Amino acid sequence: MADQNRSEGVDRRQFLKVLGTTGAGAAVLGGCSTDRVAKLVPYMVQSEDQVPGIATWYASTCSECNSGCGLHVKTREGRPIKLEGNPEHPVNAGRLCSRGQAGLQALYNPDRLAGPMAKNAAGKWDEIKWDDAIARLAAKIGAAHGELAVINGYAASTFSTMLTKWTTALGGVITNFEPFSREAERLANQKTWGRTDLPVYDFAAAKYIVSFGADFLETWGSVVEQQRGFAASHGFHDGGMSRAVFVGPRMSLTAANADEWLNVPAGSETLVALAMAHVVATKHGHARAASLSAYAPEQVAGDTGLTAAQITVLAEAFAAAAPSLAVAGGVGAQHRGSIELCHAVNLLNEVAGNIGKTVTFGSAPAMSEGDGRIQPLFDRMAKGEFQVVLVHDANPLYTLPRSGKFAEAFAKVPFKVSTAAVLDETAAACDLILPNLHGLERWDDQNTRSGVTGMMQPVVEPVRGGMHTGDVLLKVAKVVGGAVASFNAPSFEAHLKGEWQKNIKAIDFATAMCEALGRGGIFAASTPNEQPRAAAGAVSYTKPTFDGAGDYVFMPYPSMLYHDGRGANKPWLLENPDPITKITWQSWVEVHPDTAAKLDVREGEIVELTSPHGKLRAQVYVYAGVRPDTLAMPLGLGHTEYGRYAKGRGVNPLDLLGAADGQGFLPYVATRVSVARTGDYQKVARVDGTPRQLGRGIIQSMPVAYAAKGMTPEESYKAAGRPTAETNTELERTAIEGWHEKQIAASQLGNYADAPHPKWGMAVDLSRCTGCSACVTACYAENNIPTVGEEQVFRRREMSWLRIERYWEGGTDGEPLQARFAPVMCQHCDNAPCEPVCPVYAAYHTPDGLNGQVYNRCVGTRYCSNNCPFKVRYFNWLKYNETAWPEPLNLQLNPDVVTRSRGVMEKCTFCIQRIRGAQHTARLEDRDVRDGEVVTACQQGCPSGAITFGNVKDAAAEVVQWKRDHRGYVMLEETNVRPAVTYLAKVLNIEPAAFHGAEEH
Amino acid sequence: MRQRFLVGVGTLMMVAAALVIVSRQSGAQQPTTGAPAVAAIDSSSLKGPRQPIFFRHDIHVGQKQMACQYCHYSAGVSNEPGIPSMQTCMGCHYLMVNGSTPANVVEIKKLKTAWNTRKPVEWVRVHMVARHVHFPHSVHLKGLGPQACATCHGNVARMPQVYKVNNVNNMGFCISCHLERKVSRDCTVCHY
Repeated sequence: MADQNRSEGVDRRQFLKVLGTTGAGAAVLGGCSTDRVAKLVPYMVQSEDQVPGIATWYASTCSECNSGCGLHVKTREGRPIKLEGNPEHPVNAGRLCSRGQAGLQALYNPDRLAGPMAKNAAGKWDEIKWDDAIARLAAKIGAAHGELAVINGYAASTFSTMLTKWTTALGGVITNFEPFSREAERLANQKTWGRTDLPVYDFAAAKYIVSFGADFLETWGSVVEQQRGFAASHGFHDGGMSRAVFVGPRMSLTAANADEWLNVPAGSETLVALAMAHVVATKHGHARAASLSAYAPEQVAGDTGLTAAQITVLAEAFAAAAPSLAVAGGVGAQHRGSIELCHAVNLLNEVAGNIGKTVTFGSAPAMSEGDGRIQPLFDRMAKGEFQVVLVHDANPLYTLPRSGKFAEAFAKVPFKVSTAAVLDETAAACDLILPNLHGLERWDDQNTRSGVTGMMQPVVEPVRGGMHTGDVLLKVAKVVGGAVASFNAPSFEAHLKGEWQKNIKAIDFATAMCEALGRGGIFAASTPNEQPRAAAGAVSYTKPTFDGAGDYVFMPYPSMLYHDGRGANKPWLLENPDPITKITWQSWVEVHPDTAAKLDVREGEIVELTSPHGKLRAQVYVYAGVRPDTLAMPLGLGHTEYGRYAKGRGVNPLDLLGAADGQGFLPYVATRVSVARTGDYQKVARVDGTPRQLGRGIIQSMPVAYAAKGMTPEESYKAAGRPTAETNTELERTAIEGWHEKQIAASQLGNYADAPHPKWGMAVDLSRCTGCSACVTACYAENNIPTVGEEQVFRRREMSWLRIERYWEGGTDGEPLQARFAPVMCQHCDNAPCEPVCPVYAAYHTPDGLNGQVYNRCVGTRYCSNNCPFKVRYFNWLKYNETAWPEPLNLQLNPDVVTRSRGVMEKCTFCIQRIRGAQHTARLEDRDVRDGEVVTACQQGCPSGAITFGNVKDAAAEVVQWKRDHRGYVMLEETNVRPAVTYLAKVLNIEPAAFHGAEEH
Repeated sequence: MRQRFLVGVGTLMMVAAALVIVSRQSGAQQPTTGAPAVAAIDSSSLKGPRQPIFFRHDIHVGQKQMACQYCHYSAGVSNEPGIPSMQTCMGCHYLMVNGSTPANVVEIKKLKTAWNTRKPVEWVRVHMVARHVHFPHSVHLKGLGPQACATCHGNVARMPQVYKVNNVNNMGFCISCHLERKVSRDCTVCHY
């Protein structure tokens, strides 16, 4: 460049000077900045609710699953940058799970289609115009003469109602389809109470919770709501807590959070439930007792692997704790006897008197049909009964087992249309794709339960060239006319607002609607509580059958991150480790250690599983939390389409399953498989270290009886006869105390001596934390943390500033296996070991008690990370900031936080941008920062409310109250690093005699 | 913003009416103000980057005494000072089409054209701090009072074309002020 310019008589220096001052085009600024000189482009007309630099919040509703959680969408300069829960929403009360937060990556997904596409004769996709696309669809529908099938995966809503009426008017058939739709439960409710709706379960009120395979903290039901309730009752409070028991063949995250896991073979959960119901009914003299007489614990215990005494004790405790709650269902318990299981659990709730207390009917979550009900539709497709099929918000060709020949049946339909925004498996098999707008780009609503209408409004201009499917329907109706001529609203927005007007019933509708939109929806003041009438439903038990003669029961279970597979194209979810196995970006098959020894396989070895319906190859993960006679695999990966992140990643366990067989639901746990070694090996992308605590006291626990007495963790270990390690002698203690004081004195020198600075601190209640990892996703979203991908995870280069530590206790010598979870972020030590070793003062202590990290000063020696006992510092090895956010994913970045480049050490900052933001607001208002004003991202997202944050110098602050709790301890106390994060020990609702904390201390 | 537009138009109409009355009463032509007669094409000889429209801060701020925050309204409430929307310009220039010199009329016509063709003017950025620096304008305005803007941006009221008086992207410039005023010099106040 210099030579070129010199030849023109301008030297390089002059050239840069000219560029720097005139700033023509994109020139490089002087100094240390690498920023481009930019143009400032003003708004033509600025929206009144947009102030540059200040976030605008809109209320909306999450569409990542059918729970219908309320959202608060944080937008900056017109683009959403973070999704948080809506505190006013009755379902999620301000919290949001990982999947919901990752909805942002569906909005900005780089694989979203740019516009409508049509498949040409050569089978390739042509991009077409919207007018053309609608004309093609209308022509086909007009010629179909009612031979139209519609598959709608969207929740109950004004849109779904319109789609149903539109389809029916055209003479077509519509099936509302959702893969995990709890059909067995609804069929069981028909049997027990003669109604097919689902109740709402109140986990917060329950004093004794027994789950028969229902993973209520992961994918079963409205998980954020249930987790909040579970934390309220099962978190240690007022000297007590509820007790939770999980019955099933695999220790899921829900089971890991229970106080006891009863490891029974798949199918025999029913016997446990019936035996419990027998004991309770007999005790209460309930009318149902007679019908249960054949299921006394003594008679059925043999098939469950439990003793009769175990079941009796469990049942009596369940009966004594009123109200209690039993739940059943979920994919993990969906074997061929699932209806009987759910019926048995319904009876158990009834005889224990829980109906109307913890199990309330009347505000039913509106459910779609599931796999069982959609099969007849495909049968009709195979017979050639349809000319046109329209698939909206569903991906049946992925979520239905391949052995059912659904793709072949689908192919028989001459004209297939999808509204998928990303090319998924079903869309790829279609002839026309009309990409729908994302939930944050469109007018919509969700009626996920009676009395709750969650509203959705466009908060961003469409990122890609989609069109609202509601508008597509209206436009098609206009062309087709005839039976659908009545669908004449000018736009779907107008139709929707018309429907809302019927619901709101206010004189000044416009104002009322604006208020409702601001609130997030229309919420009824009270929820109905209907008493169901007992139906005759006979009690029966048939041992569930399994296809095939393999040695092992095959148990696919839904991943809490990928759900039914729709999460697999979002890097936040792929990089967020599975809470149990800590594996990222991969599929695995869980094998019990004894089974692994018998098969002579080890972790990472690829095995071939064969069932009568198919075979697949997957890597082994050795896991003591699965029965020796069972192999478990997470669902959600193994896509053949669905964008760059999902396609070809992992395997789909549905390939081993058969289709539904007439009971009305897809039996997931209904196959036996045989295992063959292949000799191949695959590196496992795990992010955990040693799975055991080895006496380091990282995650401490205590039995509830000791917690109720106000014991500290140390006293509790002593009382339980578990000797605590005396890590420092008296002399050493004095020495390090003195040194610590000197360190504090040194830090008070200089400018900061007298300043009235706050001191920030955090407390985490481990008796509430479930390990769900919503905080991890929140941290990624808030702090622009790059996802690094599978290859980099192999090298341990993941950047998760906040991680969930998972340790195992017991599991050997007959002691029960237990899990411990704790979020671990930078502990912001007062006496931080990272600070003195930094040669350039990039790591240093701020006057407000933070462990500061100045990225622009960091030269990447990594000494700080080597010296950190918590390993919470993450080095940016490559230019992740250039690879992690392919356009338009970069639009999700938080402008308040800088993106870091290669060669920089990064770590948790206690969300310093939120601290500074609150301080600036307080400064403008001439006041101090109030307690609760600074909310860190992890704290905000936590569905359990396990994290609190504040100024520890403020005696009235909540964080100070938490830190004073007798259960409080700091991690690695013996290192004398004085962390600013206090953990409150986990409380286990077990007898002190059974307290197993040997490895904790 | 609509309010701002309406207030702008409303104020202007009143001012215009008053001017008409005053000029009729005095019966004399208003003397032209003493702005330097610089034509648009000449602005490249001035300091600072040449802008697509030769916007005269010296006229708007110096002669007409407009407050900085009339246009850069978010500076007092937000980290970002913001640049005025085209509508803010048109709030006044909807009616005020006659500049004090023919050259200025040409520039105002450019604005009109941009407004009518719905093409926002792409201003060339003069002041910028690196991305790893967070400079909250609102807090500095609060702390420094009426002279806050000039502290960094110089006396814009006398600049026909805005140029960089201080290298705001130099940490020494920030620190010297923080030292002088005895305010925090903690790194994480700005760097995060």
